[in-house]
Amino acid sequence: MYFRNVIGAVAQVASVPVIALLISVSAAQAFDASVYPNLGGQWSRAPVPGMTGEPPFDPSKPPGLGQQAPLKPEYQARFEASLKERAAGVPGTWPGPSCMPPGMPAQMTAYEPMELIVLPRLTLIRIDYIRDTKRRIFTDGRAWPAHAEPTHDGYSIGKWIDEDRDGKFDVLEIETRNFKGPRAFDLNGMPMHDDNETVIKERIYLDKSNKDLLLNEMTVTDNALTRPWTVKKSYVRSANLRPEWPEYMCVERMNAMKIGGETYLLDKDGYVMPAKRGQKAPSLKYFPSANK
Amino acid sequence: MRHQFLAGMAALTAVLAIATTSAQAFDESKYPDWSGAWRRITIPGVTGQPAYDPTKRLGKAQNAPLTPEAMAILEASIADQAKGGQGNYKTYTCLAPGMPRAMTPYGMMEFVITPDTTHVLIEHIHDARRIFTDGRDWPAQMTPTLQGYSIGKWIDSDGDGRFDTLEVETRGFRGPRTFDASGMSLHSDNKSIIKERIKPDPTNPDVLLNEITTIDNSLTRPWTVTKKYGRDTKETDPAWDEENCAEGNGHVEIRGQGFFLSAEGDLMPAKKDQAPPDLRNFQAGN
Repeated sequence: MYFRNVIGAVAQVASVPVIALLISVSAAQAFDASVYPNLGGQWSRAPVPGMTGEPPFDPSKPPGLGQQAPLKPEYQARFEASLKERAAGVPGTWPGPSCMPPGMPAQMTAYEPMELIVLPRLTLIRIDYIRDTKRRIFTDGRAWPAHAEPTHDGYSIGKWIDEDRDGKFDVLEIETRNFKGPRAFDLNGMPMHDDNETVIKERIYLDKSNKDLLLNEMTVTDNALTRPWTVKKSYVRSANLRPEWPEYMCVERMNAMKIGGETYLLDKDGYVMPAKRGQKAPSLKYFPSANK
Repeated sequence: MRHQFLAGMAALTAVLAIATTSAQAFDESKYPDWSGAWRRITIPGVTGQPAYDPTKRLGKAQNAPLTPEAMAILEASIADQAKGGQGNYKTYTCLAPGMPRAMTPYGMMEFVITPDTTHVLIEHIHDARRIFTDGRDWPAQMTPTLQGYSIGKWIDSDGDGRFDTLEVETRGFRGPRTFDASGMSLHSDNKSIIKERIKPDPTNPDVLLNEITTIDNSLTRPWTVTKKYGRDTKETDPAWDEENCAEGNGHVEIRGQGFFLSAEGDLMPAKKDQAPPDLRNFQAGN
């Protein structure tokens, strides 16, 4: 039997966009929309005053070493090597040379607009960046599955909380596990552990004084870190009731490619060029005509 | 079991309201149950890569009503593919297929029906869609995309008080787009108009039919095909794949030429006697 079916309600409060709601059919319970916060519409990463450049993982601190990430020495060394590569001209982590997706937790930086679709047993998060992310946060009370294929997005289980006991949910608490890599915290290549045993806890809620501001308190536990690392991300809701949803085709924006384990750039005419000074040309050993 | 479920659903009436100034109830009992994971249904005897018209084999066997110019483009693509090239098959670079090819579909598909939007979530390259069902008109300005801009309307075709068909029109395209992997191209003017009627098979609620009519300047007339999707009835809780095209993609494209990557990631020719890429930006000896 199918465990989900559609049921919903629309809330259109003046400039507030729509909430989409579904119901659990197997439980045959009505889904009371009024007890959920209105997370509808288009959300974008909130700008941080005074902060310029590429968005780092912790939006409250400068990128790079300014993040003061609690990295273990081995991963700090990897991070510094990545920063050197970037300084030498090698492209950032995304779109990078291969269009691999950010996965969690980096995707919640919201490099592109984000949509949250609140359903009774599931909250979907769509972000069109590198891949068309369809993050599923199961809120149906399930336990961790015995077997699940590791993914960049991980497996997310959420729970709605009525923190102030006013009869209405206000916080979505999420735990995400079961990852694969490679994943990094941000564009500078701040690495996560190769064992992919990351556990990410999130608390997503609307700002009490501004219902068009969404907050995400995120705590990452990862073996690349000396301790859990907590950051707070903010998203602002578009006032446009019918916003445009951009289409992000990574392959069209990528000006780099990986050949023989090395990252190369493409010049304006599409010719392969070095990404850093003194870089050797790609091997042409498989081309007989090049080896004559 | 499925019929019991549907009967239960028919009996279920949920009226949801939100205390708002302009609350609008969304009566789920009026919408069809398209939940679950859907996959394309292959036609017995039709082998090879999935073709645009699923009842016929890929390539010229499709008998597509192509203009002579479009037919020449298809033939050149097939000829290049016969030599090991990719022809017009641009998805090998992880460029999304766009519409109408996305609705073949290549990966698992989910319909998320909400009052104002039906989300069609397809795990492939980058194939997810939004079909707006809020009664909007075409926007004055549309940024062209590979998926296009889709406006839909729910229809109660049999007058039983419940919607059963989603009619969709999609415009606002960019390219390149092909109908399928053969490289059968849509016109480069991207003025395609695609009309879909998505509805359940009258004899089986676990089969969806998508009658797609494409109007395009590569065609001599509108071309209609019917695609069939089957619901996964074995899994109550489908394990949704995560498809990352770039992961393990053994192809790269340099100045329009496709190359393979070896196991070590080195460049290899894709075609016999293919010239290596021009490495003019590297000094001799480097």
